[in-house]
Formats: sequence, structure tokens, C-alpha cells
Amino acid sequence: MKKSGKFIFQKYDTENLINRRAALVTIAQASVFSLLVGRLAYLQIAENSNYKKLSDKNRITHRFLEPERGIIFDLQGRPMAINKQKYEIIIIKEETKDVERSLVNLKSILPDANIEIKKILKEVNLRKKFIPIGIVDDLTWEDFSKINVNIHKLEGIYPQIGFKRYYTQGESHSHLIGYVSQINESEEKSNPLSKLSTAKAGKMGVEKAKDAILRGKLGNKNIEVNASGREIRELDRVNSVQGNYIQLTIDSELQKFCYERLKGLSGSVSVINVKNGEFYALASSPSYDPNIFGKSISNETWENLLSDKYKPLINKSISNQYPPGSTIKPFVALAALESGVSHKETFFCDGKHLIEDTSLDSGYKTFHCWKKEGHGNVDMKEAIKVSCDVYFYQIARRIGINKIAEVCKRYGLGEKVFKSFYEEKSGVVPNKQWKLENLGSRWMVGETLSAGIGQGYFLTTTAQLSLALAQLINNGNKLYPKLIFDNEIPNVYDERIIANPSYLKIIKNALYEATNSPGGTSYRSRIIGNYKMAGKTGTSQVRAISIKEREEGLIKNKDLPWEKRDHGLFIGYGPTTDPKYAVSVIVEHGGSGSGSAAPIASDIFKYLFEKKINLKRNEIFNV
Amino acid sequence: MFNQNNIYNSAFAKLQSVNYLLLGLIITLFFVGLAALFSISNGDFNSWPLKHSQRFILGLIVFFIVILFDLRIIFGYAYVIFFLSIVSLAIIPFFGVESNGATRWINIAGISLQPSEFVKYTLILALAKYFHSINNNSSFIKTLIIPLIITIVPVLLVITQPDLGTALIILLGGISLFWISGLNYKYFIVGVFSILCSLPVLWQYLKDYQKDRVLTFFNPERDPLGNGYHIMQSKIALGSGGIFGKGYMEGTQSHLNFLPEMQTDFIFTMLGEEFGFIGTLILLFIYAALIITSIRLALKSRSLFSKYLSLGVCNVFFIYVFVNIGMVTGLLPVVGVPLPFISYGGSSMLAVMFGFGLLMNCYINRNIIIEKTNY
Repeated sequence: MKKSGKFIFQKYDTENLINRRAALVTIAQASVFSLLVGRLAYLQIAENSNYKKLSDKNRITHRFLEPERGIIFDLQGRPMAINKQKYEIIIIKEETKDVERSLVNLKSILPDANIEIKKILKEVNLRKKFIPIGIVDDLTWEDFSKINVNIHKLEGIYPQIGFKRYYTQGESHSHLIGYVSQINESEEKSNPLSKLSTAKAGKMGVEKAKDAILRGKLGNKNIEVNASGREIRELDRVNSVQGNYIQLTIDSELQKFCYERLKGLSGSVSVINVKNGEFYALASSPSYDPNIFGKSISNETWENLLSDKYKPLINKSISNQYPPGSTIKPFVALAALESGVSHKETFFCDGKHLIEDTSLDSGYKTFHCWKKEGHGNVDMKEAIKVSCDVYFYQIARRIGINKIAEVCKRYGLGEKVFKSFYEEKSGVVPNKQWKLENLGSRWMVGETLSAGIGQGYFLTTTAQLSLALAQLINNGNKLYPKLIFDNEIPNVYDERIIANPSYLKIIKNALYEATNSPGGTSYRSRIIGNYKMAGKTGTSQVRAISIKEREEGLIKNKDLPWEKRDHGLFIGYGPTTDPKYAVSVIVEHGGSGSGSAAPIASDIFKYLFEKKINLKRNEIFNV
Repeated sequence: MFNQNNIYNSAFAKLQSVNYLLLGLIITLFFVGLAALFSISNGDFNSWPLKHSQRFILGLIVFFIVILFDLRIIFGYAYVIFFLSIVSLAIIPFFGVESNGATRWINIAGISLQPSEFVKYTLILALAKYFHSINNNSSFIKTLIIPLIITIVPVLLVITQPDLGTALIILLGGISLFWISGLNYKYFIVGVFSILCSLPVLWQYLKDYQKDRVLTFFNPERDPLGNGYHIMQSKIALGSGGIFGKGYMEGTQSHLNFLPEMQTDFIFTMLGEEFGFIGTLILLFIYAALIITSIRLALKSRSLFSKYLSLGVCNVFFIYVFVNIGMVTGLLPVVGVPLPFISYGGSSMLAVMFGFGLLMNCYINRNIIIEKTNY
């Protein structure tokens, strides 16, 4: 026992031993403290700058600030596209540890809201962690306050007040002004606003054409956040810049009137000032409510708009192309005059015109006048007044397609009017070269005849027709078509595009008679009073009429299904004494120009003469 | 027999012979803690600072009560006190209060106490008495096995709570007394070696979160948003404090809540962020001064029991400070140990004041010689 005990304890006297051991402990403790001091020196002195950066990275984060979109005004300075406050919900990835849980909680608080968790998760992961992702776009005040009450359950989710676009004029202006919606992938690169997932971009009309001007500039701010990501204070900020204001030449009252007049029909109207090229109305029917795109539009509504046979999403004034029909005749007449055809020369119309065609059994191809029994002897004025097809077959054949095409192009047909609208179509003015290039075959004589009455390959738009007429009526001054005021665009070209002003008199006279003297095609739509309108009707076929049909007797338009009826067109100007306005109207499958389009133009002119005879701009830019 | 005056006189004499340097250092540390908690509560004295002060005053009362007892009475009841603390540990599974997946607290008269904090000191008390009482030539069983059993029992009880950090401190505190008492250093070599060998086995018994913490300690980037998060943020706070700190109440890491548990285990980090290297150096200096003073006082005692007890208390205190600062600076795994006198926590405050009460009692009664008793 004694031996083992000696082994267990050191053989020093206890007092001494304890002191020695305590001294060793003290030394050990002192070295441990030195270690701690060394460690602190390393962290706080040597690595200070690194940790300082990490600390700043912890607490400082970045937010983009959405700019307010520029406002769109009309000719009179009435706001047509404005921004309203809206309540929206966003989520910021860096501010929550579990995005999915926050979204699930949100869904339980707003069971009715359309929250697609998977879609949002995907988007959250695509974006930088500090970029807010929109969840619900337009919230009611009740739901908004519900979120605010339950905010503690919704880590990383913020209710915030944003901007929504509101169109004061509703559906009467929707094609023209367009609408805004989420920025899509193809636009991301060119649009700096795409850094902000809640930002919108113009999708149609002026909103799209002038998006770069309207969108404004992103602002940004650096903020200090706490560990759970909540904003504590703002460190610095660059304010967003509101987009520029835009004033359109459109008079919203007139536009509304035109749209109302088209209601129930499928068609479009264009009203232009013949003196300066300002478009006062560009209406298309049927339409849609542009304010539904502010909210997340439901699939059903979207599908319905897409599949509607009257095509409400298409701006028929610039995006639909129609054969101009007889509305081309004033221009063909002009081409004839320029080619030396005398307006006094008469042609005999017996209701049809034959040309040789060896491919047919009879050896002839027959071109019919719209009036089966014929017009008899007609000169140019009479031919325009009664819209005699045979007259124009003959002069077209004489002057040739290339001359017709040259004149039509000079007046702006077959060319985009506004150019900046991506949805605008250019139409077609065919000539020999065009056919060779596009169809790969040679021009046939019969095609010249069709072109002479605005059929065949000819295609125009409503806006084009009004511009072409305006340039003819204003003594041949070339116009800069204007829809958006821009100080750099002069009012009138110095260029005259009429070979001889005396030709104009002949054509004006003919158009006047066509509307204002008995037997004229639009006589029923004439306006009685100080101010008068003059114009040309047009009926363009959408199908070929077979010989068999003709032999059995033409089927009346109203007996045909809607899609097969002829388009009704009308181009006109007024007042006839000192022309100010040119109007074109196209009623899709309206049956005839005189029956469907001319009455609409007549009502528009009446409205213009009564209420808008001195229509002019009310500048807003000084505001 | 007792004369009222006598008792008052002796009490007064005891208060007079208290070492005021030690007490002054303790009070200084308390004020550092108060300032830290004032900053953390964003200048609201009524939240943490107020409770911290109340606890310190309660701690001072405990301190003085312990001083007033005769050292011989403390020696006499040492095993009883130890036994009671073990009982309070043992009943925790039945009466304890659970929090964060661990059951460490019991409610006594509406006050929530953590017995494991007290066991650190009662174990020292028991071991001091034990080593005092055995002879130089006692048997192997008496000199090694019995004190090991005395140490292991509370350690195991605390491990099962589970509270690995406190258990390790209890173990280290106990072992430190083995060393002080003069046990042959060969046993320590054998002991360290066998612990190293049994580590793989012990690993199996760790809870998942404990394994995580240990793994994260060796590689904090392993899990930057989980366990590594705490230690990363703590290092960022300390490191970004630099030499002079970000200024009082200006710490971004602490005031923006990036620091975990900053009013308790990570309070040192917050001080380091706001007062920089200068601040942490001064704080370490105060701790060092307190420990050196304690050792100096301990060595003045004439009885072995006093020396063992004082040095034991001193060692436990040192381990506390080292583990806490080592933990927040990333030198040690995160084990959940408070910083004495500064961290917000009632039991730890009372226990450490109880410990220093014992130390001061030994100092006041340094000339008393305690006979070896047969236990």
C-alpha cells in the first residue's frame, strides 16, 4: 500500500508541490491568454480590412427604384395614359431563408390570389438575390392590409405601392395607344428596366413604338439591412427619372366618336389634316379594354381575344391590308392625265371589257363592270362619279401598270405611314418588277386591268388611303404623316408631288360630283350645308366571282356569309371649299362602300364640321 | 453563549478583511457587462441591463453570505452541498424545464435556475475536501478512482441534458484539481492518451447537432447559413471592429442582428466590434488581473482545503473565460458557455459569485488550520 501511495503522489512536500503545480497552471493560463490576444490581433488588425468588407456586404444591399412612365396626352392636352398607384406584393430572395415557405404562407393568407409558387421560385432563382420579384400585381386595399397584418409570417415578402398604367379613354384608343405588360425575354437585353422584375414595357401601339422614351430611367439606392434583410436605413440614392411626356396628334373626342360610329362593325377609320399631316383619329373596331392588361390577364380572356373572328387585338387602321377597290380610281385617273390622256376622252362601257386570252376556250377573258348593263359613254369625271370599271380597264391598259404603280407610290401607297409601329403593314403596290421578284412570274395584261380598279395584288391600309388622298387634295404637297408631336418634323414638305395642278382640279371636281350630284356613288351620304364633303367609294372583292356565278346572277352580299362579303371602303375630304380633313373608312365585309363606309365618313365629317372645324394643338410641354 | 455583539463584530471584521482589489475587479467586469447590454438593448435600460443589475446585486448578497460562514462549517458541509447539487441535477429529467431541445433548468420558487452552473463549484468544494482529507500514502483507489467517480457523476448527468460545453468545463475544472493536488503527471499523460483513443467511440454518442457543431468548427464554410453562420458572423463582427472599434452602440453586426445570442454567449464579439482590439485587450487584461489576484490570494491560505478550493475556483473561472473567448474567435467549437460577469444569465452570475465567495472566504480565513477528518 505504502509503495503504491508513493507512486501515486510525487515525492515532494505537499506545500511545495502545490505551489509548483499552481505556478505551472499560471504559466499555462498566461500562454492561453497570449494565444487569445494573438488571435484577436489577427482578426482585428491583420484581417480587419477583409472583415470590414464582409461586414459591409452583410449590411449594405442594393435596390432599384422603378421610374414612373411618361404620360401620353392627346392633341388638346388631355391625358390618355396615366399612372395610378397600385398595391403589389414582391419577394426579395436575400431577405428570406426559405422563399418557398414564405410563398406558401402568403398563399394561405390570400387563398384567392393567383400565386404560382413554382413559377415564382423559378424566377427568383434566375435573378440576382437582391432583385424584387413580383408576386401579385394589383391588390385590393383589403388584401393589402391583410398582408401588412401578417407580415411577420412572410419573411422576404413586401407589400409595396407601385405604379399601374391606366388608360383614361378605354377601348376607343386601345389599338393606337397600346398597353404595357411584363418585359419578356426577347426584350430583356435592350431594356434596362428588365433589372426590375416588376417593370413593364409597351406591347403595342404608341406604348411599344415609343417605349424607350416613355419608360424613364431606373433609380437605385443602397440600403442598410438587418440580418433578416429588413431595410433599416437608406445610405444613398439616385432617384428614378420619369419617362418623357408624349403628345399625340389624336383628338380623343374625335377618336371616340369614330370608334363609337364603328361599333358593331369590324373596320377602321383614319382622319388626317390635309395641310400638315397630323392624324386626328385612327380608330379600329372591335376593340378590347386596355386596362385589363394591368392586372394579370386571365388565360381565358386572352384566348377569347385571340380567337375572336372579328380580331379585336388587331389595329385594323394600320395592320390589316385591303385591296383599295375603286378608291384607287382617282390615282389611276391622275396617272392617266400625267400620261397624256385627256379627261375629255370618252370610253364606251357596255358592262364588260374583253381581252385576248388564248388559255381560255373562248379565246377571251371577260372583265365586268360593277354595273351589268354598262354606263354608256363616260369621260373621266363621269367615270369617277359613277365609278365605271370599264373606263378604268381601258385607261389602265393604255398607260400600263408601271405608271399606275409609280403614281400610287408617290402618294404613299404601298409604304408604311408611321414606320415606328412594329405592327404596321406596308401594303402592296404591284408592278412588273414586283411580280417577278415576289411571285417569280411575268406580268399579265389582265392584272393591269385588275390593278386599274384596285383589285388583284393591290393592298393598302386605312391610314395609307387617308394620307394618299390628303396629299392629293392639298395641291400635291408631300406630307410628313404625324401621330406624335416632335419638334424636328416640319409641317409640310417643300416638295410638290403633282405634275400639273390643273389635274387636281379635274379630280377634285369629279370627287365632288361623286358625292354631291345625283347618280354619284356616295350621293346618299352627301352633307347639305355650308361645308360639304367629297369622296370616292370602293368595294373590294375578297373572292373571285366565277363565270357560273355570274351566269346564275350575282348573289346579293347580304345573302353571303359574313367572311365572303365585299369590303366597303370610302375616302373623302372636306370642307370642299377649303379642304382641311381627309377621311378613310374601311368596313370589313361591309357589302359595299356606298352602303357601309360612306355613311360613316359622312357622319364623321358632319361631326368635324360642327364641332372640330378649327381643330388645333393645345401644347402641354410647357407644363 | 453567543453574544450578539460578538457576531456583529466578527461579521464586521470579515467585511473589513475582504480583498477589495478582487471585489473591485469583479464590479468593473459587471459594469463592462452592463455597458454591453445597454448597447445591445439599444439604450433601453429597463430590459437586459436592469435584470443584469438585479442579478448582480443578488450575486453580491450570495457572495457576502458565503463570506460570513465559518470556513470550518463550509468544510464540514462540503459533501452535503455537493450531494444536494447532484440531486438537483438528477431531478432535472423529472422536474426540469425544457428549452431549445435541452433540459437544463429547474424552477425553485418561481426562479429558473441551472444547477449545472453551480455544480462546477460544488464539485471543486467536494474535491477540495476530499484531497485535503486523504493521506500522501493513500491507496490507488482512494487517491484516483474515488475522486474520478465524484467528478464523472455530475459530468454524465450534465451530458445527458444534453449540455456538452458545461460538462466539459466541469470535467476540466475537476481534473485541474487533480493536478493541483499533486497527482503524478504520468496519470495525466495516460489519461489524455486514453481520451484520444476513445474519441471515435464517444463520437457515436454525440447528438447530431453536437456533431454538426464540431464539424463546423473545423470548417465554418461547410454550412454558412447553419452552424457556420454563427461563427462566421462572430468573426466578421470582431474583425470589422479593427483596432479602435466602430464606436459604442455603433456596431452594425450586433445592432442589425447578424450576431447570434449576442446578449449571452457572443457578448464578447459585440464588445470587440464596438471597442476594437484596444477594447478586447483591456477586457482580457481585467480578466487576467482578476485571475492573478485570485491565485495570489489562494496561495496565502495555510490549509490545503483552502488552497485546493481557491485554486479550483480560479481554474474554473479561467476555463470559462478561455472557452467563451476561444469559441467566439473561432478557436474552439461553439459549445454555449457564457462570459462570466458580462453575459446575461442569472444562474451563471449567481454561481460565479458563489465561487468567488468561497475563494474570498478562504482568503479571509487563510490562517485557519483545518484538521484532516475521517470521512
